[in-house]
Amino acid sequence: MKNEEKPQEKEVSDPARAAADAWAIAWTQMIEAGAKAIRSSSYLSRVKADDIAIAETPHDVVFEIDKVRLFHYRPLSEKKSGLPPIIICYGLFGRQTMIDLQSDRSLVQNLLNEGIDVYVVDWGNPTRADQYLGFDDYIDLYLGSCVEYVYEKNGKKPVNMFGICEGGTFAAALVALSPELFAGLALAITPIDFHGEPDKFWRGEGFLNHWTRNLSQEDVDLIVETYGMLPGAMTGAVFSSLTPINSMTKYNLGLAEMQGDEAAMLNFLRMEKWISDRPDHPGEAARQWLNELYRDNRLVKGTFEVSGQKVDLSAISCPVLNIFAMRDHIIPVSCSKALGKFVKPELYEEIGFPGGHVGVFVSKKAQGVVAGGLCEWLTSKHNKTNPGAQVQKKKTTRRKSKSKAANGKE
Amino acid sequence: MAKNENPFSEMMNIWQESQEAFFKAQAEVAKEFQKSLGQVTSESETKGTEHLEAWNDFIKSWAPAWDPSSFMSQNGFDASAWQNGNDALFAMLEPTNWTRYAPEELRKILSTIAQGPRFADLAMPQQDAANAWRESLDYSEAAADMSKVMQDAWTRAFKKYSENHTLEDLQAGNVKGALDAWLAAANAELLDTQKSPEFMDAQKRLLRASMEIKARQRDMAEAWSEAYQMPTRSEIDDLTKIVHELRREVRKLKREVAALKS
Repeated sequence: MKNEEKPQEKEVSDPARAAADAWAIAWTQMIEAGAKAIRSSSYLSRVKADDIAIAETPHDVVFEIDKVRLFHYRPLSEKKSGLPPIIICYGLFGRQTMIDLQSDRSLVQNLLNEGIDVYVVDWGNPTRADQYLGFDDYIDLYLGSCVEYVYEKNGKKPVNMFGICEGGTFAAALVALSPELFAGLALAITPIDFHGEPDKFWRGEGFLNHWTRNLSQEDVDLIVETYGMLPGAMTGAVFSSLTPINSMTKYNLGLAEMQGDEAAMLNFLRMEKWISDRPDHPGEAARQWLNELYRDNRLVKGTFEVSGQKVDLSAISCPVLNIFAMRDHIIPVSCSKALGKFVKPELYEEIGFPGGHVGVFVSKKAQGVVAGGLCEWLTSKHNKTNPGAQVQKKKTTRRKSKSKAANGKE
Repeated sequence: MAKNENPFSEMMNIWQESQEAFFKAQAEVAKEFQKSLGQVTSESETKGTEHLEAWNDFIKSWAPAWDPSSFMSQNGFDASAWQNGNDALFAMLEPTNWTRYAPEELRKILSTIAQGPRFADLAMPQQDAANAWRESLDYSEAAADMSKVMQDAWTRAFKKYSENHTLEDLQAGNVKGALDAWLAAANAELLDTQKSPEFMDAQKRLLRASMEIKARQRDMAEAWSEAYQMPTRSEIDDLTKIVHELRREVRKLKREVAALKS
């Protein structure tokens, strides 16, 4: 660091010598860095694409509707938790494989090891043939049908719902619309208030919120009409720009730093495999996501509609666990925490994870804090209370009359 | 080597020389322009003037606001493009000779052509071409503006870094520390830039311009598909929408039937 009190003469006494010394040091360290890079490069030359396996926990497809499939995971232990089954719903911007990236960093396996019955929604691979699918389809028809399927399998008893990111917004909306079907709602890194508290954003937080609100409704429409979809490559580029230097250095400095360490390299390559599998977001749903939610913030205003029904978040009557990441570049903390304003305090709990958006699932720390916290919450709320029973009788009729599960196939 | 002793003075010399060269080129251009038009016609000086006037009238019929002298007053004008008779006219029509020097004039011309009346029984490819050209001009400008915003960000990042770090950091032997500090400074500056109005505005314009280009590509692909009797994307989108709506109707009916049965 510059020392302002230091006399200037000393710094420039022999600049040529100083530069030569610096060059020698830099050269030495460059060789050291080069050796590290060679070790990583050597590992990369040996590893094959097939060696990078993700989402390997055994499961069966138990329900399908259009391209959407519901996975039921096979038990991994003899343990039976006695808890209602949990349905996990990821968003449309990435794949659900994130929650089962590798055996020692798998939310799915953590739940299975606790004897919890796990279902996961797979949205499939939307193409331009799916460009007119909107939130009515994704929330009410697809997710609603998956929930009804599990609800029926569970002897028509309420189930647990766990929504992640955009999937969390879907889950919150569905639970608000049909509270009778749910024993509990857990959310992770989920936007609820899409404007959040910009004055409190830390540097790098809330770029997506700024960026989207800077676009006009016509801009969003233009993107959707031009492509039909919101291309995965485009959303991927926007996500990369949220951490600009990391995106620029991960394939050079980042890889070199790993020095060919197999465990670190495999973790990195599994993440890369997940990131590269970024689907296109169906156009109509993207239009609603960007215009109705990101720009107009309709969910917290109470004007967001699914299948003609207004979503009232205060109708959520089951216990809620809200998990957010304190260093989330994608979903600001204030956007997630806003759910607390709508749910009765005695039903609402939070976990603030000290990490980033994806770290909530893939970091080592998250296995204890997030997965452990979720298992503990599921168990303790089940032991403490069963609030869905009363509501269930009153409202099941409305849901039953819609009976959408009949549209799918087992 | 003596010249390098004072880089600022050297820079000033280069700048002055450039200025002189520029003014000289301007004078030569004016001369060559007159000469070249004369060569085209191989007529008298008066006749040449008539042709020039006729040419200006022709241009003005398309673009009333067009000022033929506007691009001559721009920096970096290439005099060599005007030295031969026929080449001079082609040079005037060559987009690369225009775009750099008079983008706004070019934009006016293109708008005039694009907004001209359409005739029922006459193909008007020049209107589409003018629109496509204008879109490509918009895209180039938006990309250049975006690039400038990012270049400025990197310049600021380096300035901030160099204010806090010196060669001594490297002499202390902590190259990695110096690198980490540089990356942190760059990251902070880039993140701040990404939230700035300049970045937001430049990116929005780049996004709009690229969407226009994409839409134009789609129009061209559709024209090709139609020419070869292939289904166009618009037709497939229409069908997709019909299937989507039909599927919704069927599901709605199924629900109503199920509700009636229960």
